[in-house]
Amino acid sequence: MAEIVCVGKTTRDINVEIKRLIARGETDIRVKNPGARHNLGVAILESVELTFDGSVGYYCAGMIDGPTVKVRGSTGWGLAESMMDGTVIVEGSAGNGAAASIRGGTVIIHGDAAARLGVSMKGGLILVGGNCGYMAGFMAQKGTLIVCGDAGEAFADSMYEGICFVGGSIAELGNDAVIEKPTAEDLAFLESTLSRYLPQKIEIHDFKKVISGRKLWNFDKDERAVWREAL
Amino acid sequence: MCGIVGFLDKTSNEGTTVGQTILKMLTALEVRGPDSAGVALFGPPENSGFVVRVKLGEHGDFEEKGTFIAKRVQEFGSVGEVKTTAEYLRFVIDLRGEPTSLASFIESLEDGIEVVSMGRMLEVVKQVGSPQNLEATYGVSAFLGTHGLGHTRLSTESRVDLSHSQPFWAHGYPDLAIVHNGHITNYHKMRRRYEQHGVKFYTENDSEIIGVYLAERLSQGLTLRETLDASLIDLDGSFSYLVATPDAIGFAKDPFAFKPLLFTETDTFVAVATEEIAIRSAFDGAYEVREAQAKDVRIWQR
Repeated sequence: MAEIVCVGKTTRDINVEIKRLIARGETDIRVKNPGARHNLGVAILESVELTFDGSVGYYCAGMIDGPTVKVRGSTGWGLAESMMDGTVIVEGSAGNGAAASIRGGTVIIHGDAAARLGVSMKGGLILVGGNCGYMAGFMAQKGTLIVCGDAGEAFADSMYEGICFVGGSIAELGNDAVIEKPTAEDLAFLESTLSRYLPQKIEIHDFKKVISGRKLWNFDKDERAVWREAL
Repeated sequence: MCGIVGFLDKTSNEGTTVGQTILKMLTALEVRGPDSAGVALFGPPENSGFVVRVKLGEHGDFEEKGTFIAKRVQEFGSVGEVKTTAEYLRFVIDLRGEPTSLASFIESLEDGIEVVSMGRMLEVVKQVGSPQNLEATYGVSAFLGTHGLGHTRLSTESRVDLSHSQPFWAHGYPDLAIVHNGHITNYHKMRRRYEQHGVKFYTENDSEIIGVYLAERLSQGLTLRETLDASLIDLDGSFSYLVATPDAIGFAKDPFAFKPLLFTETDTFVAVATEEIAIRSAFDGAYEVREAQAKDVRIWQR
């Protein structure tokens, strides 16, 4: 295991050090006292394990493809934005826009996620142990979003595709979001996913499934009212 | 952009190093707002009267102006602790009469003079430049107190000068201050309505309206919570703002969660900031920080 101590270092120093250690062949890198600095661990394309021993700031683990990034604290805005593949685990809570536009990989948040979780996601899996805020899953095109607690307003608004599960209450469904009963297969998937990724045991019986009503896929003049509402 | 911070100490009534704490938090957010920096600090109550901080204009002999004003205000009460530092006059007055009358009187003495804060506990210090400059000029880190707010400004709509900097004191309403990150889009409409009712505006900065609005609601008898809840409906646009009164700090976040705001509460303190880095720069140890949700309103009472 290799260690980077952040005290006295700039963000650039730390990121350069991470890249240098990866180039040297290190596969387990621990970053001590990140102090909520921004832009840490961005664009890492190797299958290494990178652990931040504390909170990180904005845009942590953005544009990654392959690594496992752990945050032993909370994160600011834009966690794992546009990631291609890999795993990101946050032990605390995440700020706005977590896992926005991801194309693959897995983002696990043990605590809460703030507004705009997983907007425009195009693949992958997002799992939140707590609650999520306003407008999660907005315009999602593919992938799975699981929220074990309560979801905020405009949930799953204008989704193209993608599947959402919510364990608690939904403050308000977004445009063209439709609730349906999870299948036996869905429940089996939830059971295995939650027990695999979350430290706490969560009952899955009351989980709701939310999918796209597909009414916004094509314009139909008979559905003018739906469009007026959506736009 | 802009950076806002708030801190409330839960341990002591005598006052902790609130100036130093706010300054540390603010320094971490300097990159969000290089145009100006300011603090609103709440000290132990000034039993002998009101603390008044006056901006003495942009130019001229500040010492001379300060002495002149301190002399003239004696007709409102006995005056002590008179001190002029850079463009500020500070004094304590055992006020007879209304705070608004005193403020109007001071501001009528010369163009460019503005009462920046007034209250039994509140002191606002702000200026163009960085938090370090603020410290170098006014030594804000030496201030002892119980809670406070801070602001670093990146100007987007209005000019860069002392008056347009934040925090804003809610003019005329003692001991009420706000800091704001965002943009109030119905500002012009609201301002016209207030001006028709005779409210004076000191700047072209949309954030100023928040103080005016909160003061109006509180004067109508609403509690601080009711006031902040009402602001979510009455204010349009993007905002995370913090408010401080003699015994509380609180925040409200707009319904679309456009602007960041993170907070933490422990047994000994409450800290709120635009970025977690500000909180981590000021406080060691283990505590959890979370982002506020859309429409969140929170108040911490001392």
